[in-house]
Amino acid sequence: MNTAIIEQEPKLLPGDLAIWFFIFMELLVFGIAFISYAVVRVQNEDMFNQFQLTLNTELGAINTIVLITSSYFVVRAVHTIKNHGDYIGCSHWLYAAIAGGGVFLVLKSFEYYDKFSAGISLSTNTFYMFYLSLTMFHFLHVILGMIILLAIAIKAQRGGYSASNHIGVESGASYWHMVDLVWIILFPLVYVMR
Amino acid sequence: MRSYFNIHTIWIALILLTLSTYAMGALGFSGLPIVIVLLLTAAIKGVLIISEFMELRGVSLLWRVIMYGWLWTVIIVIAITYAITI
Repeated sequence: MNTAIIEQEPKLLPGDLAIWFFIFMELLVFGIAFISYAVVRVQNEDMFNQFQLTLNTELGAINTIVLITSSYFVVRAVHTIKNHGDYIGCSHWLYAAIAGGGVFLVLKSFEYYDKFSAGISLSTNTFYMFYLSLTMFHFLHVILGMIILLAIAIKAQRGGYSASNHIGVESGASYWHMVDLVWIILFPLVYVMR
Repeated sequence: MRSYFNIHTIWIALILLTLSTYAMGALGFSGLPIVIVLLLTAAIKGVLIISEFMELRGVSLLWRVIMYGWLWTVIIVIAITYAITI
């Protein structure tokens, strides 16, 4: 009689469901922007290949590593609160992740300074229009992600999260990973592929 | 403990994949086969971030379809546009 099949229930999404709808919406917008870049490039291949060479691929690659590492710090923050209930340790990992975001913004600002001082703007040509608008849109998301992580880090530092209550940490972590995920496609698409 | 070790490994794998992408650009590689390799590298990195960093492994099929569907749709459409031009 004991032939009941034990079915494993699917895991719940980490974090709050609302943040996931926000993430899906953001991904849709970035996805359309990436596809637009690729489609417009079909008609302007020579121009895109020519001006892509003016981008600083070294800084782009370093920034990719910085964002990946920052995401890794956020994973460590989630593990620290979830598995050990260590809210101070969690906040330290989050501050490290925020610092990573700060490094990304500084390096990106150097890149923008270089371009703007050379007289390049959104209206210079179609390639730079895409390069500047895509990366600046992402830049704003890094800032928003840092603000979210900072709010969570401060709350964690004050003991606002525990091993049994860490949904806020997971929500912020999911958003930050989305920012990383988008850059993972943006970097090869805009800086490398030709 | 095993999953904790995996997170370190995944972080290092993501960095190595990034360095391979950079190297292909720095060496001036171009052409459709290179574009396919670069897109597959980005897709692998995306899968690792979605499944391991975002911890979506084992969640309901609907959420995984949305996330992986987004990733592969973007990758495949970009690949098609490059296949047209190169």
